[in-house]
Amino acid sequence: MTRALTVVLLLALGAAFVLRGLKLGERPMHNDEAVNAIKFRELWERGTFRYDPNEHHGPSLFYATRAIGRLTGAPDFQEYTEARLRWVTVLFGLGLVALLPLVVDGLGRRGTAWAALFTSVSPAFVFYSRYFIHETLLVFFTFLAFVAAWRYWRTRRLGWAVLSGVGLGLMSATKETFVLTLAAAALALALNLLWTRFIDASGLPLKAQRVSLRHLAAALVVWLAVVVVLFTSFFTNPSGLLDSVRTYEPWLHRAEGASPHIHAWYFYLHRLLIFHPDNGPVWTEALLLVLGLVAAWAGFARKRLDGASAGLVRFLTLYTLLLTAIYSLVAYKTPWCLLNFWHGMLLLAGVGAAVLLRGIRQRSVYWCVSLLLAAGAGHLTWQAWQLDTTYAADQRNPYVYAQTSPDVLDLLSLVEKLAALSPEGDRMLIQVAAADGDYWPLPWYLRRFQQVGWWEHLPADTRACVLIVSPGFSAGMDPAQAHQMGIFGLRPRVFLELYVRDELWQRWMDRNRSNRSP
Amino acid sequence: MKTLRNDWRRLADGASLVPILFSLMMAPNLRAADESKDKPAGASGDMVPLVLKLPDPAFKGTPKDIPLGPNIEPMSDKPRPPMMVPAGLKNIAPGSKLTSSDKNATADTLAKLTDGDKEASEQSIIYLRKGSQWVQMDFGGPQEIFAIVIWHAHNSAKVYRDVIVQASDDPDFVNNVQVLFNNDYDNTSGLGAGTDREYFETREGKLINAKGIKARYLRFYCKGSTESALNEYTEIEVYGRPAK
Repeated sequence: MTRALTVVLLLALGAAFVLRGLKLGERPMHNDEAVNAIKFRELWERGTFRYDPNEHHGPSLFYATRAIGRLTGAPDFQEYTEARLRWVTVLFGLGLVALLPLVVDGLGRRGTAWAALFTSVSPAFVFYSRYFIHETLLVFFTFLAFVAAWRYWRTRRLGWAVLSGVGLGLMSATKETFVLTLAAAALALALNLLWTRFIDASGLPLKAQRVSLRHLAAALVVWLAVVVVLFTSFFTNPSGLLDSVRTYEPWLHRAEGASPHIHAWYFYLHRLLIFHPDNGPVWTEALLLVLGLVAAWAGFARKRLDGASAGLVRFLTLYTLLLTAIYSLVAYKTPWCLLNFWHGMLLLAGVGAAVLLRGIRQRSVYWCVSLLLAAGAGHLTWQAWQLDTTYAADQRNPYVYAQTSPDVLDLLSLVEKLAALSPEGDRMLIQVAAADGDYWPLPWYLRRFQQVGWWEHLPADTRACVLIVSPGFSAGMDPAQAHQMGIFGLRPRVFLELYVRDELWQRWMDRNRSNRSP
Repeated sequence: MKTLRNDWRRLADGASLVPILFSLMMAPNLRAADESKDKPAGASGDMVPLVLKLPDPAFKGTPKDIPLGPNIEPMSDKPRPPMMVPAGLKNIAPGSKLTSSDKNATADTLAKLTDGDKEASEQSIIYLRKGSQWVQMDFGGPQEIFAIVIWHAHNSAKVYRDVIVQASDDPDFVNNVQVLFNNDYDNTSGLGAGTDREYFETREGKLINAKGIKARYLRFYCKGSTESALNEYTEIEVYGRPAK
């Protein structure tokens, strides 16, 4: 690796760090983030984790968070913040840039540099690296398995095969959709081999070294070992292993349509390529698709590859196309899933940028195109910045999906103020009742309160000082005993009402009245 | 090749971290998890805090993403009961002179508040700056006011904050101010804490009983909504008659 490439990679890592770390704690916790946080709480405080085959994905996120927490001297769970949790996924997002040196001989030096830049500033990758969910980890472990496999292909060293097995095991222990990635990779590999053997006769007829079955077996054993260790929660939950297989039944039902997340085939591409909401800016990462297509042409035509491996570029092209098609065809869609196929496009875009510049002979044209590419990267950076800040929780953000409204933070601030007025303080009894259990992320935000009960219906006994209820339950509230103190948006078109017992209400009104009161 | 050999050496070094990471993940938490919870807080004498067994939150998958849009469902399927008023009342709002705390709001903009267009469309809505802003109506002389109906933007389900309606004969609303509605429960608008409830914006508008109050001026405050910091209005109607 040259010094220039090292500098570029470090700069890309720095840019990735800044974009991903910016105002990390400001966006309200998403439903899924809060669920993951509370599941992590069980592991952090009690050392227990049980894999749930019906929902909530694999154990790797929780154990990684625990390991990072131990390494960094994390506090009691009550003192955990949104930012501290999200730094876990940020680190894995940074890891996608950090792994790139291992494929320099596959993408080419300039291709690797551009890939690092695009990975660091891609709005989708920046945005979802800041979500405490499994997706960034899945992409990282996928890339880890891939780069290790590439290194093994180039060196035939056992260590790389073992590392690839580790990557595969961690993929399995992260999210059930890893099987889609494996399927796309296997099919892409097969198609690429067929292309190389029967169609592409222009390359030198090199006889590849045989793959050692012993090494493959070692990789498989390591893969299985990682799966067994993590799904059994370090051998404390033996049924977790069977659950890791049983999970595919509910997920297949969801994939077939038994889910509220059924979207059209173009759902992901719409968000990535051209998303223009009313009264909002135009969001697009189409530049990366165009560059990816340039790389694809170069890989299949074996032209102007600028040090990249034609075979690897073809594999990446086929893999990205196949995985995009798989995700687009599966009816069940949540937008963060696009990271899986878009990562392939980022790598191809890096090669494409290098290919584009390689073919230019005139210096003035070269610099013009370089500036245009830099401007494109700048535009991506600007978009990423906007998504981090102005549009972090705004539905005009293409990557926002069922996001908690900032308005709920006003509800929580009010609960804190009421607790300060209450003689019981954080032992103040709080009852939360929401239809279908639609009260997340409140369990995260109310974590320091010691007496909070959660219901999916209005409980018969509503003795609590503070009640947070779905508007549909408010008819059951006795206005003589509990006063409404506001309606708050939980998510767009989903609300919660806050009620306060008479005694606490009186304390509140005495505190807030002024000489201009009615 | 030399570079790659170095990569492998670094990998081998990194592999030695695996047992360390393993032990970090497995290391028992030395602090008792429930220690602070078991110790009663503020216990004094023979009295201890009552500890209740409360249901835990049930984990829930990703909720449905509901986009903002004009096709809102009404928050209640019960029709609003009619308000009883004297016969012969008229909507006196169109004849009033409108002013606003937002100096960027022109006369043409404010005129939309009394043009009769109450539709949930972008063209029907006026926007005032964020923060607590007011719109004032001057009827030219004292009126008996019985009912007021306010439509903020109802193109999607939302709740407006610090909705306050005042009546006065003082154009500056310093003297003889009467409050007809105030749901600013925390006095963040500085006009006094109110006890009226917050409500969802619907196509029916917010109906306020003014009880025949006599005043020349009405002032309407709000301070953003659950969706936006901007203040949005569609229409205001005021049912009254000249005061005798």
